[in-house]
Amino acid sequence: VIELLAITQDAGAPPPPLRVVPAGPVSVVVGPVPEGEVDAEALWAREALLEDLMEERSLLPIRFGTRVEDDAAAAEAVAPRGEELVAALERVRGAVELSVRAVDRGGADAAAVDDVHARLAAHAREYARHDGPEALRSAYLVDRAAIDGFVAAVRELQHEHPGLSILCTGPWPPYSFTEPR
Amino acid sequence: MSPSSAIAARDVALVDLVDRLLGGGVEIAGDITLAVAGVDLVHVSLRALVSSVETARPKGEE
Repeated sequence: VIELLAITQDAGAPPPPLRVVPAGPVSVVVGPVPEGEVDAEALWAREALLEDLMEERSLLPIRFGTRVEDDAAAAEAVAPRGEELVAALERVRGAVELSVRAVDRGGADAAAVDDVHARLAAHAREYARHDGPEALRSAYLVDRAAIDGFVAAVRELQHEHPGLSILCTGPWPPYSFTEPR
Repeated sequence: MSPSSAIAARDVALVDLVDRLLGGGVEIAGDITLAVAGVDLVHVSLRALVSSVETARPKGEE
């Protein structure tokens, strides 16, 4: 059994123990199923593999826990969606995902939250705003060259809106921008 | 960053990671996706952790 980690169009060999399996117009990055418990350390180890890969190629992360019997099964599962995945890779090429949560610390109104979102979205190629317990929970797809401007905007917005606590993490692989719009 | 806010930042990043691992990424045909036991529980406990981190942080900290 192997684990499927990411879709890419770059067939170059990744660092071991990862391998690429051709699947129609794309390739699948696969690796051994990790041993041991699924704890925070294991999750970060997986994330580190993807982030290293992301340095040198555009990729689409695959949903955590996706496993198949062998290379043939991996190719069989992915190849039929090849064209769709090529388009999805094009969508995220050269960009990373940044996560933003804004927590109401008392006194923040909806206008403040909308201001934060709108001004961050202006730095992004796309965004995905989700419902959650926080006042704002969003993911932004940001060109690598625009990351610094985005982070500067987060700082500025935090300063302007002391009623909100703005939490920004990333850059992440584009987990929230893999499905067709 | 003070040591306590560094810890908070790492916890927030872990919650963001878990959200993405469980809710994001390309879904490949369902019948080959094996559920990873225990991850949902990890998720729930992390959520509780982050809300306690957020409420524990004093207001007007910046």
